[in-house]
Amino acid sequence: MRADEATLARLMVLSQQGDKQAYAALLESCQRWLRGYYSRRIAPSSLDDLVQETLIALHTKRASWDAERPFLPWLAAIARYRWVDHLRRLYRADERELNEELLGTDDEPAIAARISIDRLLGLLPPAQERAISLVKIEGLSIAEASEMTGQSESLVKVNIHRGLKKLALLIEKE
Amino acid sequence: MTMTPLTSDALIADLVGDLEPVRPLRFGAGVAGTLAATGLSAAAVIGLFGLRPDWLAGSVNPMHLVATGLFGGLGLAATVTVIVMSRPQVGSDHSGWRWAAGMAALLPLAGLIVAMGRGREVLAETTVRHGADCFVFGIIASLLTFAVLTAWLRRGAPTSPARAGLVAGVAAGALGAFAFSLHCPDNDIVHLGIWHGASVVALAGLGRLIVPRLIRW
Repeated sequence: MRADEATLARLMVLSQQGDKQAYAALLESCQRWLRGYYSRRIAPSSLDDLVQETLIALHTKRASWDAERPFLPWLAAIARYRWVDHLRRLYRADERELNEELLGTDDEPAIAARISIDRLLGLLPPAQERAISLVKIEGLSIAEASEMTGQSESLVKVNIHRGLKKLALLIEKE
Repeated sequence: MTMTPLTSDALIADLVGDLEPVRPLRFGAGVAGTLAATGLSAAAVIGLFGLRPDWLAGSVNPMHLVATGLFGGLGLAATVTVIVMSRPQVGSDHSGWRWAAGMAALLPLAGLIVAMGRGREVLAETTVRHGADCFVFGIIASLLTFAVLTAWLRRGAPTSPARAGLVAGVAAGALGAFAFSLHCPDNDIVHLGIWHGASVVALAGLGRLIVPRLIRW
């Protein structure tokens, strides 16, 4: 079952009050949502780790959601933060391994579009978006990305560095 | 908590087992807590050093009112931004404090322009010592508010910890300058703009440096 915004919000209210049954249902729904959210935006081998990291962040930071505000934009902000953090760690470790079906948002396409990772990536200049997508998400080497984009290898690296820095500042931007 | 070896189902079972009730971070509670800290700081300033004489006389200097109002306005705008930043949401706007900062920046700017016209007079030992006193006491008057905002950010989930730290420093610094202005009897734009303004800049730097290290995700 895919939960909608209202159901997720109701489960979260109960979870904040300590209702374990509601919390288990919420985490299950969020797990499915996150898998869709990150799909094609992270290497498949990293998907489990990233979903789990985000669930832990949801758990740790659950007090930062207020029932007067919508749930999914809150979860998306946390998911984007963890995603950018994950890409930055990949960048620092110089790894090159890097799938959007948005969650249960089939019935909420407007919200889905606003909070998607694609929208976040779309806020970057095209050269930076392309460099990050090719190297950090699709897993190409710097040389391969350079050849595909026509950018020099140095420029690909600079665009990745600048793009990741910018993404970190744009996490809550619609 | 270890995570990697766990399956997601096992992790969820762990998190559910770990669940405790939490009190949500309410916007109003954050602003009220910060203003209460500033009120306590202002009360301490007045209790220790006394209220400006013109307040007691019932005839308040207009320059003092404008400067104190700008610091107070900046402090309030930055506080609202910090509280918003602690409760992440795609679509949140964190830019409001910048307008208040731009207006408050007129104080040091005007102070610098006037100081340049005065020449070496502004570097007189007594002037500098008085200015340094206000700088230090302005910072001290900011610390309780800074602690409250930092604690709020630690409970919250700022997605840009460095920026949240900077804005928390600006908020605390400006509210500290506001609090200490209730005592400082000086109405000179050079003193208010440069020395009181410097305490805001110092707290902004401190916030940028310290707060991100204290935020745990």
